[in-house]
Amino acid sequence: MAAVTKDQVKHLGWLARIELSDAELDRYTAQIEGIIKYLDKLDSIPLEEAKPIVAKKKFSNLRADEPAAFEGDALGTKYRKDGFVKGPRMV
Amino acid sequence: MELFRLSAGQAAGGIKSREFSAEEYVCQLLERIKKVEPKVNAFVTVNSKEALEQARALDKKIRDGQDAGALAGVALSIKDNICVKGLRTTCASKMLESYVPPYDATVVRRLKQAGAIIIGKVNLDEFAMGSTTEFSRHGPTRNPWDISRVPGGSSGGSAASVAALECAASLGSDTGGSVRCPASFCSVVGLKPTYGLVSRYGLVSYANSLEQVGPVGRTVEDVAAVMNVIAGIDEHDHTTAAVGARPVYSAGHDGGRRQQQQPQLRVGLVKEFVEGADPAVAKVIHGAMDTLAKQGCRCEETSLGAVKYTLASYYTIAMAEASSNLARYDNVRYGFDDLNPEGYEWNSYFAKARSNFGEEVKRRIIVGSYVLSSGYYGKYYLKAQQVRSILRKELKSLFKHYDVLIGPTMPILPFKIGEKIVEDDPLKMYLVDIDTVVANLAGNPAISVPAGFVAAAAAADGGGLPVGLQMMADEFQEQKMLDAAFLFEGAAKVQRSPEL
Repeated sequence: MAAVTKDQVKHLGWLARIELSDAELDRYTAQIEGIIKYLDKLDSIPLEEAKPIVAKKKFSNLRADEPAAFEGDALGTKYRKDGFVKGPRMV
Repeated sequence: MELFRLSAGQAAGGIKSREFSAEEYVCQLLERIKKVEPKVNAFVTVNSKEALEQARALDKKIRDGQDAGALAGVALSIKDNICVKGLRTTCASKMLESYVPPYDATVVRRLKQAGAIIIGKVNLDEFAMGSTTEFSRHGPTRNPWDISRVPGGSSGGSAASVAALECAASLGSDTGGSVRCPASFCSVVGLKPTYGLVSRYGLVSYANSLEQVGPVGRTVEDVAAVMNVIAGIDEHDHTTAAVGARPVYSAGHDGGRRQQQQPQLRVGLVKEFVEGADPAVAKVIHGAMDTLAKQGCRCEETSLGAVKYTLASYYTIAMAEASSNLARYDNVRYGFDDLNPEGYEWNSYFAKARSNFGEEVKRRIIVGSYVLSSGYYGKYYLKAQQVRSILRKELKSLFKHYDVLIGPTMPILPFKIGEKIVEDDPLKMYLVDIDTVVANLAGNPAISVPAGFVAAAAAADGGGLPVGLQMMADEFQEQKMLDAAFLFEGAAKVQRSPEL
């Protein structure tokens, strides 16, 4: 397993949309490398015959995905305008 | 009479027979909370006003001769990642510091219907990620047996509040041992149900394929009584299993009678669990096996080879699912209040808002993103899922020979607050979950029962530090496990309460 680099952690932070300070990047890089090295144990297992676990239940009875009106304080959101939830601009 | 000392069963009995009122009982518990909270810090929110109102309403119901429910008046604390309508649910995170759920979790709804009183919300590691309750925005909860030590986690507030006699029982959640670890560290009983037995509707998701809501109590009987109320299929959670609308468990006198009629219990001590443990802990567990043998159980040592892969599998799956589940916290849908989206661009706003997760949560989201990245999926996530199937197969064959598998719940004794965090090596902390994650990966039920105390020179009260015995059973064999736990509890006579 290749070492985990600071740039990699920064990129993962971006993919996960978490802003990381330089101090955090320094600390996390070594820690995450240690964790990944531990997870590499999975490589040493004779797994040829094992099938990955799958859900026993069939999920065919899910409700229809229909849009519904936003109700009251369901999400506890502070920033709103004209009955809409306000978010940052897209472009 | 010190009503706060009563078990759930005793409290419900006394209230229903009008020996004392629910109001008196709740008042005493609120006094008790006021007295010990400065030392223990188990509660995030104390629900004083509503708890008293609920108690008065219940007293009236009883005076009017109506059915008050199986848990009439029993005060329970609820882990702060389980939704209670109208009561702030923070997950011990800044991201949810002002979130007030508009609905009750199914487990909470069922408790209320059974007459239980929600006395407050209790502390946890942020989003249930941790084994010590130190990673909380509300500060660490302290172990009632020695307040310089951790209570275990992540349901540390649940176990500490029950041990400190601040409530009769509690609901926690168990993703990799989060009910059993603190139960063991605080010398109370904690149960992780079979996956699918208890609804997760209203439990804030961390790792869906692993976690279950589970009860904490001071006796096996109380834990069984709470299970009777919360277990069973729920239309709001498609992963709940069709095991009958409401399974009925018993412990206590019924359990004892059935025990005598049943064939000898077959107990397997998992040697891998004992080998890796602190020798003082291992000694208590060997003693527990002797106790069970003296009760007529057929006990022997056995082996679970897959244990060596389970932690890597568990952390891969837990972190992968966490990174996906926690994507919803963007401060637009749920949020804290001091970051106005005005003037921000979409991505940079989310990245900024999400930097407010605590350290452990950020670490897990990032590792989760790593193991799910394209190219690594087959190397980590898929293999971790294969480990689950190997483990299930091995357990299935073991449960042909044994009714319960036993071992220590935690391989170590409760340690000092800050001890493992300052070492700045999160992996060290993860390794203490080695004995508990098995049940989550395989989906089996498991329970931690007080097994004894180990005299520790550094222990504050000189009374020693708690050790928990873990029992694991085959899927949906909760009754067998409760029978074994009840038998052990009665013979070992470990249950007592700390001086606070």
